[in-house]
Amino acid sequence: MNTNSNLYTVVYTTLIVVVVAAILSFVAMKLGPSQQANAKAETLRQMMTAAGVDSAENLYAAKNDAILGTYSETIDKAFAINLAGEKVKDLGTEKSKIELIDNFKPQDKAIKSNSDATLPVYVFKSGKTVIPIYGAGLWGPIWGYIAFEADGQTIAGAYFDHASETPGLGAKIKDEPWFREKFVGKKALFSEDVIFLIGKNVEAARPENGVDAITGATMTSKGLSEALSVWFKAYKNYFLNNSKTEEE
Amino acid sequence: MAQKLKETILNPILKGNPITVLLLGICSSLAVTVQLKGALVMALSVTAVTGLSSFVVSLLRNTIPNRVRIIVQLVVVAMMVILVDQILKAGEGTYAIDKQLSVYIGLIITNCIVMGRIEAFALGQKPIPSLLDGLANGFGYGLILVIVAFFRELLGSGTLFGLRVLPEGYIANNLAILPPFALILLGCIIWVQRSFDKDLQEK
Repeated sequence: MNTNSNLYTVVYTTLIVVVVAAILSFVAMKLGPSQQANAKAETLRQMMTAAGVDSAENLYAAKNDAILGTYSETIDKAFAINLAGEKVKDLGTEKSKIELIDNFKPQDKAIKSNSDATLPVYVFKSGKTVIPIYGAGLWGPIWGYIAFEADGQTIAGAYFDHASETPGLGAKIKDEPWFREKFVGKKALFSEDVIFLIGKNVEAARPENGVDAITGATMTSKGLSEALSVWFKAYKNYFLNNSKTEEE
Repeated sequence: MAQKLKETILNPILKGNPITVLLLGICSSLAVTVQLKGALVMALSVTAVTGLSSFVVSLLRNTIPNRVRIIVQLVVVAMMVILVDQILKAGEGTYAIDKQLSVYIGLIITNCIVMGRIEAFALGQKPIPSLLDGLANGFGYGLILVIVAFFRELLGSGTLFGLRVLPEGYIANNLAILPPFALILLGCIIWVQRSFDKDLQEK
């Protein structure tokens, strides 16, 4: 058979591509559910680390199934709000039907264009409220979860993650526990223009609501500061409305 | 025959090491060697991809139209890389490592070692020797990766596999974390290897 004829070449390449596509779609279908379960458990681990349910080490050592159980036991209620701070729908918290909003890119766009964003709020039984933040680091997206005390302004804990920040520099936002511990006890000033700030020597100027940038990771720190201010602003109405009703 | 097989397996590890002798796959060895764990997973992934791709291409070698052989090889390699990535993402224990390696798993497809071994070996040899050649080359690559990662993690973070080995007071060397340090280390490894192996020295 002449393997160099045009007909043979076309048929052969078509066949190869079809076979490879079939194998890959089959594998993607088979592995899809466990990949999604991994991603969901990962999100829960990060949220619960921020909420102080357990230490990051313990949560990361636990199996996916145990994580789902811990979440449904410690969560009080989860719901989604719009930019005006009004509740738009409930999110499931039972172990078998945990619902999360963890695709932040469209939300980030919606916040920035001031259009209809559906933002998740997770209230734990400890009284802590966890909200996500999302933004751009130096090389790719960065995101995280911030837990607030029941007063709706004191930060109780934080967890940050990134897609591809430089290991040892920007990646410190995730790898170094001391960085996220710095946020504990700080206040987000929802009623002011600058709600929270990360930057050079910020801690000296704003001891209550600022955190110093990481040395050698200026761009990542800037991105994180931006992410915090954009997302805090999006939740501003929710937290302000909430603290008002408590005073009345 | 046995002698030839032995050479197929041993040559890529020392005398024909893809990184230190052929100088292939340098960029990924700079990118993924900050920590041992990542380097090890990358080494295993590359070994699996080179081995299996060489095997499959060798099986198909007599049917591949010569004019489009690179494209056919690329399709096979891409499939293997996507499979490895999907499997890593699906495993409970490997999910976090896959996330840490992020794009570099996908970029195995551009690793010159994979295509290099297919072109140079698998296209003209039987499937089993091709499989062994691929695996051995992946191993030779992985070996260097692990050596580099050992020094970078030790000096850059004071840890090995995430466990602290240097005392708390050790001030981490930030240079070790950055890619240029890997290049310096690679240079040192090449230097050491060449000073021991006279055959590799250029006159």
